[in-house]
Amino acid sequence: MSEVAIVGVGCVGFKSIMPELSYKELMFEAAVKAYEDAGGINPRKDVDAFVTCAEDYWEGFSIFDEFVPDQLGAVLRHLFTVSGDGLLGLANAYMLIKTGHFDIVVLEAHSKASDILTFYDIVAFAMDPVMVRPLGGNPYYIAGMEMNRYLCETGTTIEQCAQVVVKNKRNALANPYAAYGANITLDQVLWSEPCFYPLKKLEISPLSDGCVVMVLASEKVAKKLTDTPIWVEGVGWATETPNLETRDWGRAVYTELAAEMAYKTAGITCPSREIDFVELSDLFAYKELQHLEALKLCKYGEAGMLLEDGIITKDGDLPVNVSGGCLGMGYALEASGMQRLLEVVLQLRGKAEGRQIPDAEVGLAHTWRGIPTATGAVAILSNIKE
Amino acid sequence: MSLEKITDPRNMKHWLGHMETDYRYTLGIAGERFLNEIKENARIMGSKCKKCGVIYVPPRMYCEECFEKLEEWVDLGINGEVYTYTVAYLDREGKRLAEPVIYALITFGDAFGGLVHKLGEVKPEEVWIGMPVEAVFKPPYERKGSITDIKYFKPIQ
Repeated sequence: MSEVAIVGVGCVGFKSIMPELSYKELMFEAAVKAYEDAGGINPRKDVDAFVTCAEDYWEGFSIFDEFVPDQLGAVLRHLFTVSGDGLLGLANAYMLIKTGHFDIVVLEAHSKASDILTFYDIVAFAMDPVMVRPLGGNPYYIAGMEMNRYLCETGTTIEQCAQVVVKNKRNALANPYAAYGANITLDQVLWSEPCFYPLKKLEISPLSDGCVVMVLASEKVAKKLTDTPIWVEGVGWATETPNLETRDWGRAVYTELAAEMAYKTAGITCPSREIDFVELSDLFAYKELQHLEALKLCKYGEAGMLLEDGIITKDGDLPVNVSGGCLGMGYALEASGMQRLLEVVLQLRGKAEGRQIPDAEVGLAHTWRGIPTATGAVAILSNIKE
Repeated sequence: MSLEKITDPRNMKHWLGHMETDYRYTLGIAGERFLNEIKENARIMGSKCKKCGVIYVPPRMYCEECFEKLEEWVDLGINGEVYTYTVAYLDREGKRLAEPVIYALITFGDAFGGLVHKLGEVKPEEVWIGMPVEAVFKPPYERKGSITDIKYFKPIQ
């Protein structure tokens, strides 16, 4: 079976609002950059299949799939849409190439969150209509409940969670694709408005607009298109349960299962030794710590100490969210995983400029589909072919 | 991209839309019995798997572990425990609430699952994980077979 490489990336955004572009124009601009980056491929004839990622309600369309071909150069060509995060799309693109029938596959995910006028209503529609929705309220209360249980089970402190925000927003200052870089103090986070106890305002990733397009290729084609192919060593995904009542409120089980799957494909047996840096979902500050544990990069309940010891800072042994994460780049709906993936690719190419991690060889990208889901995905990438 | 410099984002061309959809969500056999028991008898019921013994609440027709059909019903009483909780300060639009609302997951003994609901007759700073609580039902004439027939859960004195 052929190896799979990422050979082109294009990104537009991320910004809190991009009022000058429609969602189609966002996709077009990111696609043009990605095709240029992939050795100047022509989407009208060189691409074997297109995979886009979108969720109807985020877009304000029924059957949004129909509205994506033209802006990618995919009219009358082979395209499907994954109703999920960009990393779930990556898994599909990866599998297509692994079949041996596809040499070049394009992957896309975007966010035009600023077009959504009633964001929390849409999130509320994702909850059980009979058992939960009638209770009303802002559905982000689920995050407050989860954070409370996580702190209770692990002994992680509110200061450790707040420190994640300080770190990631500071990291974002060095990332031109980040919307919410800032130099803030621990006290500013701790004293920001209480929203869903113990969750505070600055611990919640604000929404952002943007789009990422990537070009994936089989081994034989990859080397013709780029000198720096980034190899997809493994992908994994999992859903725990949609039921709030029966899910695990302390552990991110979906991430544990997704990571196991990705590690197995990539042949990784000791993640903390074999992985050089991590990009993961920090949609809420505590999620960075919880996800770090679920990825088996430390024991359950120890991520807060890793943070305190400086291990997951930019200059630490295991840098986490050097891009700024969702807290720094903004929550980009189904493009959130693509933000993580983009940073991993740039780092492994050695093109992350002022935030470059020296000698990075193996990176991990992770995502979570947000409230109220228990779905996550993981990808392992490397710039060295085994 | 526009060739002219944009100085006022309100001048950006846009179109306002509204997605109106109405649904009838079928409760199914397990859901109907569960909500009817709350309405008629003010009690919380679970369904039990004969094979593995797990009791589901809210009840279901099938066991997710054994994939067995569930036909045995168990009365779980009205007392439970706060498994986790939060104090919500924001409303659906993201605006500050005049009075915060406490949401909690209530568990019932060894049953698998629980109920997401509100807490009442308690101040936010008095709530703790593990706190015993009991269901407070609306009066019978106000109940209509909804999860909100339970007004809230309150601490057991």
